[in-house]
Amino acid sequence: MLRRSRLLGGVAASVLAAFSVAHAADHQEGTLVVALETLGGQTMDPILEDRAPHAHYQAPIFDALIGFNFEQGGLGPGVTEKWELAEDGLSWVFHLQKGLKWHNGDPLTAHDVKFSLERTMSEESLSSRAAALRRNVKSIEVVDDHTVRVYTKGVQVHFPAGLSRAVFQEGQLMPKNYIETVGVEKFREEPVGSGPWKFVESVPGDYVEFEAVEGPHWRGTPNFKRLRILLVPEESTRVAMVRTGEAAIASISPESIREVEAAKLKLISVPATMQAIYQFWGMYKDSQKDSPLADVRVREALSLAIDRQQIIDHVMYGQARWPMPFATFPYAVDTDIEKWQAWGREALRYDPERAKELLAEAGYPDGFELKFANTALPGTPYMTQIGIAVADFWQKIGVNVDIKHYEWGAFRLLYRGDQKALTGAASMFRTAGRPVAVARYSGGFTSKGGHHLFGEEGDCNDFCQAYDKLHQEVVTAQDSEERARKTDEMLTMVADSWIAVPIIEGMGYWAVNPEKVGAFKPIPGRHEFGDVFERMPRPEQKPW
Amino acid sequence: MQRYILQRLVQGVILLVVVTSVVFFIGRMTGNPVDMMLPEDATEEDRQDMIERLELDGSVMDQFGVFIVDAVQGDLGTSIRYRQPATDIFFSRLPNTLAMIPPAMILAIAMAIPLGILSALRRGGIIDRISATIAVLGISTPNFWLGIVLIYLFSVTWGWLPSSRMGGPLNYIMPTVTLGTFLVAGFMRLIRSSMLETLDSEFVKLARIKGVSETAIVWKHCLRNALIPVLSLWGVFMGGLVTGAIVTETVFAWPGIGRLTYEAVIFRDYPLLQAVIIMDAIFILFINLLVDILYAYVDPRIRFE
Repeated sequence: MLRRSRLLGGVAASVLAAFSVAHAADHQEGTLVVALETLGGQTMDPILEDRAPHAHYQAPIFDALIGFNFEQGGLGPGVTEKWELAEDGLSWVFHLQKGLKWHNGDPLTAHDVKFSLERTMSEESLSSRAAALRRNVKSIEVVDDHTVRVYTKGVQVHFPAGLSRAVFQEGQLMPKNYIETVGVEKFREEPVGSGPWKFVESVPGDYVEFEAVEGPHWRGTPNFKRLRILLVPEESTRVAMVRTGEAAIASISPESIREVEAAKLKLISVPATMQAIYQFWGMYKDSQKDSPLADVRVREALSLAIDRQQIIDHVMYGQARWPMPFATFPYAVDTDIEKWQAWGREALRYDPERAKELLAEAGYPDGFELKFANTALPGTPYMTQIGIAVADFWQKIGVNVDIKHYEWGAFRLLYRGDQKALTGAASMFRTAGRPVAVARYSGGFTSKGGHHLFGEEGDCNDFCQAYDKLHQEVVTAQDSEERARKTDEMLTMVADSWIAVPIIEGMGYWAVNPEKVGAFKPIPGRHEFGDVFERMPRPEQKPW
Repeated sequence: MQRYILQRLVQGVILLVVVTSVVFFIGRMTGNPVDMMLPEDATEEDRQDMIERLELDGSVMDQFGVFIVDAVQGDLGTSIRYRQPATDIFFSRLPNTLAMIPPAMILAIAMAIPLGILSALRRGGIIDRISATIAVLGISTPNFWLGIVLIYLFSVTWGWLPSSRMGGPLNYIMPTVTLGTFLVAGFMRLIRSSMLETLDSEFVKLARIKGVSETAIVWKHCLRNALIPVLSLWGVFMGGLVTGAIVTETVFAWPGIGRLTYEAVIFRDYPLLQAVIIMDAIFILFINLLVDILYAYVDPRIRFE
């Protein structure tokens, strides 16, 4: 009897599944065309793409171990439905969803996860965080088909974040059996993933095309039959394509916002994708002790001199927000959002009179000379305009700003090695919208960090040492309340130093043709559609 | 002639070695591809790790030695960004650029020759003035701007043409016009001035005295002479079209060599940049050699001894 009921249940499930598949397939039609400014390395092997573009053209086909919180931004379930830190803090356990399959029909198991992580950490990997993974991962164990345990070197409380596309691409999963059977070269030519879209074709320098999977997918079942992602480097051409209907969606910068609005297109502004900041380099060095910038009052004055609302209104055309502290966003973990939003409104206010008072108190009533390196990071060209505006505000309180503009690749040379060219100077910079701020604080302020704004190994004063200690406590605090408290202290320390100061919280911008695609919501913090494509409706399904 | 060609080939090889060396060393002074690949908060350890994985950790001279040895064997390296042989990427994009050049050249010549001749024949007249205006506009109008204006008018406003990308014959119209406009201006002014000079020469006066028809004088005698400097300019333009169509290719999302060069520069993809420039240099050397040989046929007075 029991066997019979199981059989009936199985038949019913099969019929339901078959109906769902048929229904989903019938439902899918048309091609969703998206025009982007870059397709990065345009490789379909996740370990060969180093940076952000993967989230556009690899995310449709590959799932990630950890996913998004679609509503608020930040981390959410992915292929892993839940994850937990072991009591001793030395390993993470990932529990996978059951019943997932690769596009070739093979089941997706813990063996694939282990294989993917090890491949991402391998010598042939160009993933930007491969080295970090090698540093942090001791070993990976398949507990059962749906459970993986990752042993870390020391306590790594933020380890899972690095395996989410909300932060980096290293969590993307690749099919072990398929790659081992056909070989890496074949996999690169005919990739198989487990995402909602199957690979169709990639024409280098031109486009990548996908076809929707026929059955329901846990990330959402695509409403379009095909997805074509075009590489169109020139922004005005992308906007023209959306206007003519050749593309449904195009990435744009703030400069095109007015044109988009005038053309009656829809503008999608993705909140909190980045923070534009400025920072002072090498202020801990002995050579800088007599610099005006060595006085914290001067650094605070420079912040008070900036009218951020003007920058939001006129440089960002109203499509930006008031910032929170350095590298924190409304979806930041371990952070008292309300408290720090209030801090931002007060501490980052525009108060030129107080700025002048502070300069006078510090002994610089007539201002001083300030070197300022202006640059824009890839994907946010408008940073240059923000930098120019900041320099203008500083000029207004009497600071004589010597501004130099650098292409990003040239700028990166300046902060390698002894940072001689930047020491004692300010520069523009950016923090990407990520839920875990501490990684950015590590690179920015610890003595081992790439920027090491508080001090470096061999030249780490008391303040620098105190920060290093606090930082270590944050990254190893297993108790969430203690971690939040330590994070708060860390934010306070950095905010009060006025060494790295937020200017605005930027957004990602998209021009959308409402006749080609229906109303959809992006993921806060992520200027990319890799995990949104499948949830975009056709216009008749959900008009704007 | 054979001796001349051999001499030019030897010169070409020397020039290639010089170009290669300059590109190799100057490219490395402008930044490191690793810095374009790592996130902004990467540690020095991450950076060193990536440098080793990309085999950029040797001294520049060591890298140069390896590059020369490989290049002599026809291996110009693997693109750092695309992880494919750099020459494969170059040749996959080359047909796209070459596809755009003949229509642009045909447009330029079809407009420049009649307008240049008419301007010379009707010097100071209305056609000459219109031609001068076209020439000034053609040379002074940035083709970046022209491309965008064409897209706005013909795609966005009137909907007659696709805005960009490769495709059918209609896709070629705007890139061709954008690329060809600059050429029209250059060719036209050169033909005009050459024609004026030739029309004033002794042999033309003699032909007129002998009663040769004006049509024969213009088309048979003058134009052939006037084309000699145009041929030189054609050689220069051909090289420029292959290597310098960056703007047109960017505006019209055309996946050609110009854009590939731009991407290689921006991402500090040394092997790709080296390969592109070396292949471009070979192409330009070949075109120049072809132009020199064509001289001999256009102007029998020219000999290569």
